[in-house]
Amino acid sequence: MPRIIVAYVRAVESLNYRIGRATMYLIFVMIAVLMWSSISKVAFLPAHWTLETAQFLMVAYYILGGPYSIQMGTNVRMDLIYGGWSARRKAMVDAFMVFFLLFYLAVLLYGAIGSTAYSLGYWGTEPFAFFRDLAMAFLSGGPEAAGEVIGRLERSSTAWRPYMWPIKVVMVIGIFLMLLQATAEFFKDLARMRGLEIGRGARAEVIRAPGKDPAKDSDRSTA
Amino acid sequence: MSHEAIAVIMFSAMMLLLMTGQRVFAAIGAVAAAGAVFLYGTGGVDIPFSAAMKLMKWYPLLTLPMFIFMGYVLSESRIADDLYRMFHVWMGPVPGGLAIGTIGLMVLISAMNGLSVAGMAIGATIALPELLRRGYDKLMVTGVIQAGSSLGILVPPSVVLVLYAMIARQPVGQLWLAGVLPGLMMAALFIIYIGIRCRLQPHLGPVLPAEERDVPLAEKLRLLRAGILPLAIFGAMMVPFINGWTSLVESSAIGAMTAFLAAVLKGRMTREVFETSVRNTLGVTCMFMWIILAALGFGAVFDGLGAVKAIENLFVGQWGLDPWTILILMQLSFLLMGTFLDDTAMLVIVAPLYVPLVHQLGFDLIWYGVLYTITTQIAYMTPPFGYNLFLMRAMAPPEISLGDIYRSIFPFVGVMVMALALVMIFPEIALWLPEYVYNK
Amino acid sequence: QSTIRWRMQTYAGPALAEHVIKPHIEMFNKIAGDRMQIELFFADQLVPTGELFRAMQRGTIDAVQSDDDSMASPTEVTVFGGYFPFALRYSLDVPVLFNQYGLKEIWEEEYAKVGVKHISAGSWDPCHFATKEPINSLADLQGKRIFTFPTAGRFLSRFGVVPVTLPWEDVEVALQTGELDGIAWSGITEDYTVGWADVTNYFLTNNISGAWIGHFFANMERWNELPDDLKTLFQVCADASHYYRQWWYWGGEAALRVNGDKLKLTTIPAEEWAQVEAEAKKFWDEIAAESEVKARVVAKIREYNEVMEKAGPPYRYS
Ligand code: NA
Ligand code: NA
Repeated sequence: MPRIIVAYVRAVESLNYRIGRATMYLIFVMIAVLMWSSISKVAFLPAHWTLETAQFLMVAYYILGGPYSIQMGTNVRMDLIYGGWSARRKAMVDAFMVFFLLFYLAVLLYGAIGSTAYSLGYWGTEPFAFFRDLAMAFLSGGPEAAGEVIGRLERSSTAWRPYMWPIKVVMVIGIFLMLLQATAEFFKDLARMRGLEIGRGARAEVIRAPGKDPAKDSDRSTA
Repeated sequence: MSHEAIAVIMFSAMMLLLMTGQRVFAAIGAVAAAGAVFLYGTGGVDIPFSAAMKLMKWYPLLTLPMFIFMGYVLSESRIADDLYRMFHVWMGPVPGGLAIGTIGLMVLISAMNGLSVAGMAIGATIALPELLRRGYDKLMVTGVIQAGSSLGILVPPSVVLVLYAMIARQPVGQLWLAGVLPGLMMAALFIIYIGIRCRLQPHLGPVLPAEERDVPLAEKLRLLRAGILPLAIFGAMMVPFINGWTSLVESSAIGAMTAFLAAVLKGRMTREVFETSVRNTLGVTCMFMWIILAALGFGAVFDGLGAVKAIENLFVGQWGLDPWTILILMQLSFLLMGTFLDDTAMLVIVAPLYVPLVHQLGFDLIWYGVLYTITTQIAYMTPPFGYNLFLMRAMAPPEISLGDIYRSIFPFVGVMVMALALVMIFPEIALWLPEYVYNK
Repeated sequence: QSTIRWRMQTYAGPALAEHVIKPHIEMFNKIAGDRMQIELFFADQLVPTGELFRAMQRGTIDAVQSDDDSMASPTEVTVFGGYFPFALRYSLDVPVLFNQYGLKEIWEEEYAKVGVKHISAGSWDPCHFATKEPINSLADLQGKRIFTFPTAGRFLSRFGVVPVTLPWEDVEVALQTGELDGIAWSGITEDYTVGWADVTNYFLTNNISGAWIGHFFANMERWNELPDDLKTLFQVCADASHYYRQWWYWGGEAALRVNGDKLKLTTIPAEEWAQVEAEAKKFWDEIAAESEVKARVVAKIREYNEVMEKAGPPYRYS
């Protein structure tokens, strides 16, 4: 494989690994928030920020943790036919089918970007132009000029009324990272088709015999 | 394009993608995205993401990471070992007693976690090797563990019933209570089956040798204390919840916290256990959430394109079937779909199609939730394809072949079908407890 | 010529929609026949209610029935959507304010600015508390987690209420799981219709508003594409649905208070409740200070209420 691709895959996977490792501890933050919610309810006035905060944490948890979960291979596959294939054949089919995943993630990302633009007060149909203007304004005139571009900020329609843009920005970042991970999967599959294993955890360009790929030969196969 | 054609195309495209072994969420999401972009019309492209906003508001799903975490803490820290010893010593002298004890173990584990995977993991790692070593028949043993672990989602807490509650808009508390008696009844039926079978064919489940049976009474009583832990965890979670002191999601956090503290206090929360539990909780939660996200998008596109109406029209209008026939057909279709669809995906995609229809036909949606749960459990255990089967295969020692696993479940599936029929004929089995508790 | 197809989503769930919108969409479809068909979707069915406005703006949904507040409309008038406290005493106040006092023009203008057609406004039910524990005084409101509209919630938090916002469809569940202590969302008709009366025990006869304002909206482009007669037909059906709700709620509120057996009535004495009414006037001032448009709306509400008070019975008894 070209060095640049090997380096790209490693870079993407290390980034997602680090983010995923940090994200997994959010479970304790969620537990803490919900425990506080129970305690405050019994002891004094129930806090009205807890449920929504827990919701935001949950979104960050599963969106930012998504790429790491792909690395761990926890996503279920229906391996009725797939399980019987050789590693090389799996890699071939996967390398093609990953485009469906990329398509889905691209549509999600497009929606997320539009929704984030809306949360910053942009109601038009060209969110990308809005973000370009926002960036230009920020670069030329600093935060104040950027503030001019930003319109009415969307708030959650609850009594707590938190702003929506922070969580939407997190979602944009998470879906984008997922997209990067999917491209890394594509290159990993291309490499596997040649009997190579690349990416985080694989020693660079280690040659493996086809069909001896522990990561892919899940023992859940039906063959 | 007609609504029927859209329904057929979207479903078959999804099946095709699933068949090629793609990640379930990717297959569902891709079909949803394609439908949204190419078929829906103006503004369709926003739907897959707006599903994420919908998912954010489904606050009961906060219980998902909590229950998953609980399950991992329980199985990884092996705090269930003592429980197993308790059943072992008490039930050992009976023919098939260890198998019966394993069902009892599964009931207690079910009361502490919301999925069936934890039960399967604990059963396969603790009970399975022990039972094989004592000369139990391997078909009996694998069957018991698979059947027993299916109690996990019927006995509260249950993540499947939380998801069902979200979709059917029914109260979780009632659904959970509705699962209790059918769950216990099913456990009792399993026990009766094992008892009879092992009395007729003692070699399937030999009694413990005399020297092992000879445990002093004081020791036997001491072991009973192991049963306190699951009851304490169950109580810490369920008592405040049923009384309305804490909400569902808060209670699940209390459960996760209690399980974690129990492991710490028992000195079992090693660095390794901690790492595995925290990491796997993220992995499994992500798997579920991404599937639900994709499936919600799929559902909205499917609905927006009129495909839901097409299915309703087919069952009620064109075929003109009577309510019970429709209900039984639905259950059969679940068994069929269980062969290629992951259970979460099946719930999020198929339940929204069926639930309004079930309601319209005049059936009780709490009762249907229990039927649904039992049916999907059967679907995941029936060959040739089922997630429980694969899971068992992954966890079982090499001397147990896939063929053994297939053959082992038949009698238990028979028992489950019987339980299903009983709940269908006598809805009170499910409905009595929630009515008793909530109608003050 | 092919049939025009619209997707419409209401903020109401299936049980309520059976009364408040479904008959009139069916009426529309029957008359329009092959020329136009509207497919009706219920709360959160295609998009979550909080995203309704944006979905309509983008054309994902062609038409919407909702109040401004629930669908998170980004306009200046949002705050008046769901139960602006003590602005309205009777359901007839709504059409009068919109058609005789000029609110309609303000709404049309504000929505046109954001690419949405405001079609018409009509009144719904008054806003009462239904709770698990009885409320006999203002002190009983302290610490109660109540499902209510955002604006009403902001106001009620001054009396110790903890406002909770959930998807509408989850309220019944939340009342049973303890997430909520009660609701301040509707009148007694709706409590019985959607099943909330089964999961609460008490109904407070004092209300914080005598009517809710609900609207029909459409995506501006879709609306402009319609031939004039279909626009008129839509407006007529919307008016018919307003009329249906007018008598359905008015009759239902009285009958269920008297004949309903699921909720016990409680009342906060009028003198004590007057504190809430006085606080509402302060709240009006605060809202009016927020923007010029809000000030215009508050001025019209104030003017109208003064006229009603001077007119005396049957317009006002106190
Ligand atoms: Na359980
Ligand atoms: Na199956």
